[in-house]
Amino acid sequence: MEYIARVEVSLKPGHSDPEGETTKNSLKELNYPVREVRVSKVYRIILEASSAEEAEALVEEMCQRLLANPVKDDYTFKVEEKI
Amino acid sequence: MSRRLYLRKSVPFSLLEVNLLEADNGDLARISREMGLALNLREMRRVKEYFSKVGRNPTDVELQTIGQTWSEHCYHKTFKGTIRTSDGREVRSLLKTYIVKATEEIDAPWCVSVFEDNAGIIHFDGDYAVAVKVETHNHPSAIEPFGGAATGVGGVIRDVLGVWADPIACTDVLGFGPLDYDFEKLPPGVKHPKYIFRGVVAGIGHYGNNMGIPTVNGAIYFDESYTGNVVVYCGCVGILPVKNYVKNAKPGDVIVLAGGRTGRDGIHGVTFASLELTEESETVSRPAVQIANPIEEEKLKRAIIAVRDLGLGTSITDLGGGGLSSAVGETAHRFGCGAYVDLEKVPLKYPGIAPWEIYISESQERMLLTVRENDLEKVLEVFREEDVEATPIGRLTADGRLELRYRGYVVADLDIEFLFSPPPVERTARWVRPRLSEPSFPEPEDLTSDLLKILASPNVASKESVVRTYDHEVKGNTVLKPFCGRYDGPSDAAVLKPLDGSWKGLVISCGMNPRYGKIDPYWMAASAIDEAIRNNTAVGGRRISLLDNFVWGNPEKPDRLGSLLRACEACYRFAKGFGTPFISGKDSLYNESPLGPVTPTLLITAVGVIPDIRRTVSMDLKESGSILYLVGATYPELGGSEYYRLKGFIGRSVPKVRIKEAAETVRAVVKAIDSGYVKACHDLSEGGLGVAAAEMAFSGGLGLEINLSKVEASGGLSRSDFVLFSESNSRFLIEVPEKVKDEFEALMKGLRFSPIGRVKAEGWLSIYGLNGSRVVDVSIKDLRDAWRSTFGG
Amino acid sequence: MEKGEIRVCILRVGGTNCDAETKRAFTELGVEAEVYHINQIAKRGILQESEALVIPGGFSYGDYVRAGAILAKGLLTKLGDDLERFIEEGKPVLGICNGFQVLVEAGLLPGFDGVGSRPEAALTTNIPVGYRCRWVYLKHENRGNCIFTSKVPRDVTLRIPVAHAEGRFIFPEGKEQEYLERLYENDQLVFRYCDEDGRYAEGRYPTNPNGSFHDIAGICNPEGTVFGLMPHPERAYYGWQLPDWTRRGSPPKYGDGRLIFESMIDYLTRKF
Repeated sequence: MEYIARVEVSLKPGHSDPEGETTKNSLKELNYPVREVRVSKVYRIILEASSAEEAEALVEEMCQRLLANPVKDDYTFKVEEKI
Repeated sequence: MSRRLYLRKSVPFSLLEVNLLEADNGDLARISREMGLALNLREMRRVKEYFSKVGRNPTDVELQTIGQTWSEHCYHKTFKGTIRTSDGREVRSLLKTYIVKATEEIDAPWCVSVFEDNAGIIHFDGDYAVAVKVETHNHPSAIEPFGGAATGVGGVIRDVLGVWADPIACTDVLGFGPLDYDFEKLPPGVKHPKYIFRGVVAGIGHYGNNMGIPTVNGAIYFDESYTGNVVVYCGCVGILPVKNYVKNAKPGDVIVLAGGRTGRDGIHGVTFASLELTEESETVSRPAVQIANPIEEEKLKRAIIAVRDLGLGTSITDLGGGGLSSAVGETAHRFGCGAYVDLEKVPLKYPGIAPWEIYISESQERMLLTVRENDLEKVLEVFREEDVEATPIGRLTADGRLELRYRGYVVADLDIEFLFSPPPVERTARWVRPRLSEPSFPEPEDLTSDLLKILASPNVASKESVVRTYDHEVKGNTVLKPFCGRYDGPSDAAVLKPLDGSWKGLVISCGMNPRYGKIDPYWMAASAIDEAIRNNTAVGGRRISLLDNFVWGNPEKPDRLGSLLRACEACYRFAKGFGTPFISGKDSLYNESPLGPVTPTLLITAVGVIPDIRRTVSMDLKESGSILYLVGATYPELGGSEYYRLKGFIGRSVPKVRIKEAAETVRAVVKAIDSGYVKACHDLSEGGLGVAAAEMAFSGGLGLEINLSKVEASGGLSRSDFVLFSESNSRFLIEVPEKVKDEFEALMKGLRFSPIGRVKAEGWLSIYGLNGSRVVDVSIKDLRDAWRSTFGG
Repeated sequence: MEKGEIRVCILRVGGTNCDAETKRAFTELGVEAEVYHINQIAKRGILQESEALVIPGGFSYGDYVRAGAILAKGLLTKLGDDLERFIEEGKPVLGICNGFQVLVEAGLLPGFDGVGSRPEAALTTNIPVGYRCRWVYLKHENRGNCIFTSKVPRDVTLRIPVAHAEGRFIFPEGKEQEYLERLYENDQLVFRYCDEDGRYAEGRYPTNPNGSFHDIAGICNPEGTVFGLMPHPERAYYGWQLPDWTRRGSPPKYGDGRLIFESMIDYLTRKF
């Protein structure tokens, strides 16, 4: 079966996010009342697995092995069956 | 779309027959518009005439192919067409009459291939030649600055690969509207200069850095007229063994398409570049913007250099504007061949792309090679090893026809000769000298604050915050970098050492003076040539070749064409006078927006050599006690100057070039450098003597004392501010040690020059005016701070 | 072994772009250096025939996901066992710029507990944000463990350029002091950003060009045989590459970067 995983990798809270900071300043320059900007990366992964549990386990592994660096990144994901 | 004009062919894919044979003039114009062909009525009638003779209607593939091939971008109709002037002259081909003519008459022995290939090729050292190309990518950058600029860099790198050269350096010259432009004043469809500036700078850095090609030289200008018409010049220099410059394709050779896959990217980019930007552009044209993938191009580059070194290709060209349609057509035309291509073989990014879209798609990172049948397997293996897709898609033939097939059906069958003989354009040129007058304002007693303001003005101020986002060191061959001296002064030119076994260096510089063009495009062109050459000379360059890149408005309007003609006239006269041939060039016309036309802009890129890079001279002052010479005469020429701009004027006394003196000055400066008499050398340009002296001082961390009454002035210069800020051409500031003073002066004999000051240990700039009173009195720290204040460090 | 017998393997993948000048730095020293695609290295067992491995600068695989991350996993999966043996034998591994990012992402640096598979540090987005190409000063901090700086006296200041957008070295939050102490204990700290006179940058831009924790520019593993640094020594190899050599009239013969390559070759000639 095919599953769609949506993985979001973001900087751990407390880690400085220069990209977000720069974006925030830029938005403020445009007169938006912006307090904070944090940048994260979203992956949309279509994968094959025999069950939703297996798909989740695989995505978890992907995050740990490649998509996130545990030193600075948090990740969350959602897996759905592809219709 | 009308069913009367477009008939669906009964084939199992999308293919239209266009009912040209029954079309009247109104229909022809409508077809051109609806299909995005950007062909005028005269051209459409020529197409109709051709198909009437053939006795059938064209397919959409055929019409699109003709539209691309005859586009301004691909065919340069204006530069090749006939121009009638308001004073009754007739100029047949600007290109041949002025640009190529200068090159032919100079007949420089170092030219290997000029004006005939993707890039100009000149001899460098021993068995090596260098290839140079400069392109513009204005329209795409106006719509999507990051992608537009990135693909501009990618495209010009492929131009250099397209003559079998290995790219070793990039240059980038950019023009933006004022960064503080009022948001409220922006018409719909025009993006704010700040947004465009950020995107363009990031796009250029992204591509060059990722590909590992150093960006070594460039400039950034600001002008109100660039608000609606951003100017993006991308240049690339490559190196190749002369013997590897192989162009010997013949009928029977296999056509190989290599690199990225083909999608709908950039469809109609070419015809879009030949039309003015309108309010609609933003929504209508977005598909014309391509997606850049520098890593793909990096791999493609490696594979092509490998094919070159193995001697396996018979010709090569890049896929740029017009995509396959240009690349295949031009290759066949050039070698007097025909070609057939099976469009079904072209690897696609996704299904459902119509044959005409495949043929004109401008997907990036693709190159076209021809190879002998026997070598095909070896060539494909090279690409496989680099993980780059390469596919044989057709063959060169002997019949002079272009035949395109798709799923077994012939979808285009055109005579190549016809394809490359568009009806010549005839245009009218009328240049009217603008009514300008010389301003009158009192001479300030103290010039310190004006000098500081000019140093901080956007066109003079340090662009370090931009330049350092480009890798200018990768490849480890950059001898003179964008910043030099103890405190990061602005280098006049870049020097590269491309060959490990040789001390010979390549010198790259540029010149551009859009403000002078507002007074007279003739002297703007002369000044740009002079500036590019003197920047090159200042670091030790000689044996200079030039590239011309025009950015102009709609040439169908006589005044725009009139000013273009004037600029071309100057190109001929001054290139010839300096003995510096043009080796390549490009024009980007139709730069018009709801805010009006672009100010006529000519970029001159100069490529010189230095016999031994260890003789390179930088612009920073080196030693206290040295004498500072000003070589070249100063005239009351402040028209279009930074000083007048500061005072709110344009003026009319545009700087001229006295070609005999100018050429002699350049020769003498090179001799002085070779003799080792020159410790530092800097050209005088925007901001004149004042800015050049300040930059030399703060870059070296040393002070200067200058006496303006010592300056060799002509033409009744009687004001200190004019002497200090005149922008007369052909001038150099040169630091000479006291002990070789006599030798240096002997070399300069016969020129207008004089010692005007001395280098001081204390970091202070003191300038005394014509009447002996001090007119500038400021620390070099304040000068440097002002220079760096606008864009930061 | 003799210099001429030394074979240096320079690894490349799509996006590597500092391989040619890195190769030149080695061949100039009289050793044999060759650039190989990672697939060739894996297929032809190049590692077993080489005495040193170098991962040069560039944007491996476009630096997608994170700078160096994809190549790091490729290194472990394609060369895993060979690489582990290589390192255990004490053969040097040098990562420059993107190569440093790869070694950190692969867990080879700082490598507190041997060849780990999980990163213990990161090289992340510069502060201030953005790509920057400039010359920096480096203070040599190593007490003798790092084989790549044996020819550099301690406390000496070197001048080498950086060019990167992700060079800010960080440890996991909350572990900074602990890990830093381990770096010092194991003598793994090699270079810190400093000013012309050797004073630490203390995080100040642009002396510290990327906001690195503790001004860290380069570290080695506990054995001193795996070394990564953000600056590019191959771009400071010859005197004419220096940014202000024109002030001297003629360039000096060599730049400071050469010392790193010399030290590495010196180690190889003595050890093997």
